This record gives sequence, C-alpha cells and structure tokens, in this order.
Amino acid sequence: MLAFTIKRILATVPTLIAASMLIFLFIHLIPGDPAAILLGDTATPEEIAVLTKQMGLDQPVYVQYLKWLTNLLQGDLGTSIFFQVPVLSVIADGAETSGFLALMTMIWIIVLGIPIGAIAATKHGTWIDQITSGAAMFAASVPTFWLGLYLILIFAVGLGWLPSSGYPSIFEEGGLANLRYLLLPSLTLAAPNAALIIRLVRASMLDVQREDYVRTARSKGLHPVRVAYKHVFRNALIAVAAAFGFTFAALVSEAVVTETVFSLPGIGRTVVQSILRRDYPVIQGVILVIVVLYMVVNLLVDLAYSWLDPRVSLK
Amino acid sequence: MNFHTSWKSTLIASATALCLSTSVFAETLRYATVGEPPSLDQQVITSDLATTIAHHMFEGLYTFDASNSPVGLLASGERVEDGGKTIVISLREGVKFHNGEDMTSKDVLASLKRWGEFGSRGSLIFSNVESVDATGEYEITIKMKEPFGPWKNLMAFINGGPAIYPASVLEDATKEPLSPDKYIGTGPYKFSEWKPNRHVELKRFDDYKSADGAADGYAGKREATIDTLRFIPVPDVGTRVSGLKAGDYDYAESIPGDLFDDLDADANVTTILNGGPIFWLVFMNSKEGPLKENFALRRAMQAAINKTPALQVAIGPDKLWRANGSFLPEGNVWHTKSGTDNFSKGDAAGAKKLAEEAGYKGDPIKVMVSTNYAFHYDTAVVYTKQLAKAGFNIDLQVYDWATLIKKRAQPDQWDLFFTHHGFVPDPILISVMNDNYPGWWATPEKAALKAKFTASSDPKERKAIWNDIQALIYDQVPTMKTGDVYTYNIASPKLKGLSSSTLIWPHFWNVSK
Repeated sequence: MLAFTIKRILATVPTLIAASMLIFLFIHLIPGDPAAILLGDTATPEEIAVLTKQMGLDQPVYVQYLKWLTNLLQGDLGTSIFFQVPVLSVIADGAETSGFLALMTMIWIIVLGIPIGAIAATKHGTWIDQITSGAAMFAASVPTFWLGLYLILIFAVGLGWLPSSGYPSIFEEGGLANLRYLLLPSLTLAAPNAALIIRLVRASMLDVQREDYVRTARSKGLHPVRVAYKHVFRNALIAVAAAFGFTFAALVSEAVVTETVFSLPGIGRTVVQSILRRDYPVIQGVILVIVVLYMVVNLLVDLAYSWLDPRVSLK
Repeated sequence: MNFHTSWKSTLIASATALCLSTSVFAETLRYATVGEPPSLDQQVITSDLATTIAHHMFEGLYTFDASNSPVGLLASGERVEDGGKTIVISLREGVKFHNGEDMTSKDVLASLKRWGEFGSRGSLIFSNVESVDATGEYEITIKMKEPFGPWKNLMAFINGGPAIYPASVLEDATKEPLSPDKYIGTGPYKFSEWKPNRHVELKRFDDYKSADGAADGYAGKREATIDTLRFIPVPDVGTRVSGLKAGDYDYAESIPGDLFDDLDADANVTTILNGGPIFWLVFMNSKEGPLKENFALRRAMQAAINKTPALQVAIGPDKLWRANGSFLPEGNVWHTKSGTDNFSKGDAAGAKKLAEEAGYKGDPIKVMVSTNYAFHYDTAVVYTKQLAKAGFNIDLQVYDWATLIKKRAQPDQWDLFFTHHGFVPDPILISVMNDNYPGWWATPEKAALKAKFTASSDPKERKAIWNDIQALIYDQVPTMKTGDVYTYNIASPKLKGLSSSTLIWPHFWNVSK
C-alpha cells in the first residue's frame, strides 16, 4: 500500500503541471481584464490600458505564466488583485468555511443517507421503503437555492432559531458556537447528496442480498441482523465508497449555490466572484487547490477500496 | 475536574454563547451589500458600492447639500480671481487624519496632483489646469488655462473624485488603487479591516472634527454615533431581505422593484427611495460600422422605441421609474425638455421609413448586453422586439460584464451596447460628454458646445448651453436614455436618523441604532 501511495503521489506532479498550464491558459483566454473591472464603467480604453500596463497584465501570457510558476514553486500563489492580500490567505479563509461546510454536510449525508438506505433495503417492498424512496426522490429533485431560501424563511425569519446567513470564523467572537451558522447550509447541501446515497445503499444492499454467500450465511442459520450487517451492508459499502468520491466533487460545485444563498465566505463563492472580476491570481490559486483536493480524495477512495474489500489489490 | 464535568461545561458554555450571540453586535450597524467593492480608493474607483463605504472614511474639499449644491467640507472658503482663472481655496484648520497627522495644504496638494494625473475624473478639470500650489499652510491656489465653470461640482463629487489623503501615503501612487493599509482619511469613520468575502469594517474615529452647521445632505454636522459599520457581501437578494427581517442585518441595498409594494407595506421594514435616480443608456458606435456618422439611421432607431414597456418589464411599480427624457431628473436645476420630443415615440412605421431614407438595407446591427445586470438584459429584449418590428436586423450578443467592457473598447466589435449611469450633479460628468468613452462621440458641434459649457461660470448661461447639448444628443443620438429609475434600499425600523431619501449613497453618520 505504501509503494502504491508513493507512486500515486509522484504521478500527481506531471498532472499538476499540466493542470496549472491549462488553468492559466483558459483563464487568460476569457475576454475581459481586471483593470477594466477595477476602474468601472466610466473608464476609457486609454485609462484601462494605463492600469493594465502598471499591473503587468500587458505582458505575453507565457511570461506571466512563468512568473506565476516560479513564485508557485516557492510557495507563493501571488496576491489578489482586488483584495490586495496573499492568495494563500484568501484560500485559507475560504477553506475554513468550505471545510466545515463539507464536514457537516458529509456528516448529514452519512447519518441520514446510510441508515435510511439500509433500512429501506431491509424493508424492501414495504411502506417504509416506499416512504423513504419517495422522500429521497423529493430531496434529489428540489433545487438547492429553493430549499435554502425556505429553510431561511422557516428557521431564521419565522422561528428565529438560527441565523439566516453569513459565517463568522470560529476563531472570532462566538468560537465554536459560530458553527450554528452552517447548520442550515449543510442541511441544504446534504439533501440531494444524502438522497443519492440512500438510493445507492438501498440498491447496492439489494444486489448483495442476492449473492450466493449471503444465501449460504442465511442457510447456516446466522441471525438476520448479523447477515445484514456483516455480509450485506459491509459489502454494499464498496460501491458507496466510490460514490463518496463523486459526492465530494458534487459538493464543491453545488456549494457555489449554497454559499451564495447563505452568503458564506467559502471557496466556491470566492472562485465564482473572482472569475466574474477576472482576479487571475485567486482563480488560479483556488482551482489549483481544488485539483489537488480531488487527487487526494481519489487516492483516499482507492485506499478505502482495499480496506473494504481485501480482494482489491493496489498496484 | 473529571471528563464528564468538562464535557458538560463545554456544552453549557456553547449554549450560553448561542443565547448571547445576538447581543454581540449591539454597537455594530450591519449593512448587506450586493457584493464587494473593487477597492475603496476614491480617487480612481467609481463603483457606487465603493463610495457608499468609503465616503464615511474619506472627505473632499467640497460636498453636496440636500439641494445638490456644492458646499465646503474640508475647505473653509474660496476666492475666484482673474476672471475665473485663479481659484484660491482656504482649508479648515485642526482637521486630523486617521493616523493622527494634521491635514495641511501639503496633503491637499499631493492629493489633487495624484487625482489630476491618475484620478477617474481628474483629467476633466486638470486638462485645463496650469498649476496647483500650496500657497500657505492652509491655502491652495489653482491656476486654470481658461475659466472652468464646473470646477466646484467636480471637486464635490467624491465618487472618482479628489478625496484628500495624507501626502505620506501618496508617494509613488499611480493609477493602481491604494492598498488597504493606506486607507487613511479625515472622515468620521476609519478603516478597520477588510476580510475577503466576509466584510469591510469601519470604526468610529474619535478625533474627528466635523464641519460646522446643521446636517444638510452630505454637508454640515457629521457625528458618528454607532461604533462600527460592517459592510457584508450578501449577493442573493432573497437572503438580503430575509436577513433583514430576521434581524441579521440592519440595512440592505439594491432590492428589486417587484418586492417594493410588499416591503413598503411591512411595518417591520423601512423602505428608503434614493433621491438621485439612475438611468440606463444605450451607446451607439460613432467610430465604426453602419451607425458611424449616420445620424439619420440613429434617429430612425430612436423613433422605433417606446421606453415605457422596457421600464415596466425591468422595474415594475410605477413609483420606481419615470419615462423622463431629460438627462437630469425633474426638480433638478439641469432638468430640461429640450430635444425630448424624440425620446420615446415607439413609431415602428415611421422608423422604418426613416431607416430606408437613411440607406439602411437590413444589415445586421450588433447589440451587446450583459446579464450581470438583469435590467440591462430585460431592456435589451424589449428594444430588440421593437426594433425588429421597425425592420431592423438586430444581432443581440449577450456577455458577462467583464467581457462586454473588454469588447466595447474594440470599435469593430459592436454597434450598440447597454449600460447605466448614476445620478450626477453636473452634466459634464455624464459619460457621453467624455469624447474617449466607448461610443467616441466627438463631433465638431459637440466640441463647440462643450467648450462654451465648461468655460462659463454663469449658472444661467451654462443651463442654456446644456439645453442645446441635450438637443444635440437627441439629434445626433450618440446614446439613448431609457428613463429614470429610483432604486431603493431597506432598513430596520430600529435605525434612527436615516434620511427619508438618500441623495445617491446612504450615509450613517448622524444615525443611531
């Protein structure tokens, strides 16, 4: 496993270089430049050209790329054009929000998705199965912005139990209690993904239940709960583990909407705003970090395969 | 203490923190903004959001009273000599910057020089400035090549205007906006912190020295009664409204027209109409393409359009818009009906005939619009249908705003583009008056009138010339105005001292919570 891990980590280097080139190239191919956005509508093309030159954005793209890459290799992702702070600090600040949001969302997904899916499978064909499947379909179909706004209306405006939006850092006044700001967003974000996991756990367990070894276990006279947990559930988790990789990817993209609705200072909103304003250093830095995260998650998923199913060998 | 006790204590502490959380912000005004400002450097940035925040920190020599007349702010008086060619401005004494330094003519000189060279609106006046000197510790003298009538209006307009910074922060300053560590002004609030995507925070400046006189618009007494102003980006309008109703924000800006009637009737919400309307403009390309110098074809397009449906679709309630052809609104000193007979005819048949007479053969006309501003797009859709009905072949090109700004600088890429304009107190500040603004309207007729307009200091004469300029705009059609739109904001009824109608940018000095 160690050799496999080292090999995979080494394989990420060329991937990262290629990704960095693609990111840089695509961003600079989009029309528009930050100087024009900074100066606003009243600026003339001549004024924009002056600022573009002062910012060094008039240089050839390959020169700008090499400068960026050189700084990157020294751990410097550059400075945000608009915030005028290091990109790393913008990412770190957004990462706290996004990290906690993802963590709480994954907890909801696991806490709701896996048990409900397992119950639906064990109660296959009954009214419990019908209700859980229907609820899962509903949660998967509801747009996140709609669900988010209704949760705000009910729990913030109506009942006044939870804040409507924003997220102060846990390192600020309020401490860990600030995590309550993420309860509604994480529920919103978890809903469609938990629905996916419910469906997947249910379908996967139903498949496994038809396997020969399950029939053998039952014929041996094992307790149904032991059969369901040890033989069915655990084997069904192999497919679910793969789905968690996809779910993480979905979280990153769906979080953009949730972070906007709940006005969260997360990575998703940061990257969208930076694209709209052409804040090149932030876009490049954030996307690169997301690429790294994807690679790490995929590696962890592969490692989890072998842990869940010893037949899978890592080469 | 054993584990269980510690665990329970943590729970109790968290629960207490939850309960007390609402009292944390008692001395903070929380303002929900549509987004984040590009920068707060007022000299080079013209974003309205930037000014809404920054005019609490930075002050200019002049400002506007409630009637939009320029009055002294950091200036205590002035003498105009030599037939309007020499302006001697005396400064208030005892004014301190946020870094503790006294404001003197050295700082004003450095600020005016930087604004003149790199400021967004500085070149309008400094292209006519011969010299600017500190002629005393508290005196500045500006010598003009020719008399320049709108000088005081330009000095009073803080948006892209001559905010006064300490000379020490302007060493090596260029067109590039100042970094936040250099946000040092003389205003009633000082810069505290800018947390990306979280908030911009200002704190009360205890050594603030207010101008004399009763509060009047932006002029007169300024008192910071609230400790902290926190401007929080809340891009989703539903969240801004819900957040204000839930008590998470005290003030929220840019609320859509279709919510106005409900919010106006809600006792838990105060609606505040902005006194200075914004207006939308469609610029025509005077440099290249079928509209270049073809004023007859432009008039044909103008004749095809009825502006009222566009305003109804894009805004909604009648209270929030006026189909007003004058470039400045009713009640304003610059309001005139000159040329406005052609403002909103909506005559498709007549327009078709005019277009044929102008030699139009059905060639595509490229219209650029951005979806970043929903009202631009809504208006573009209504205009496109009306123009198509009059026989125009419209190629509607939809971009994001950054792309549109880039493309509009390339005259071969477009024939018309949509934008909007904030209220300005002097017509010289309207973008169509700038020869270099995309559209590049710079005909000899305009040049002659503009020269007379800027040279005159007589209000009556200037008004008469502006009437002629507006008539020329309707004749040569470098741009088409859609109408006046009165945007509105909402506030918690707990806020006391808010103006019932803000001039342009809301202010929170003299406001309590």
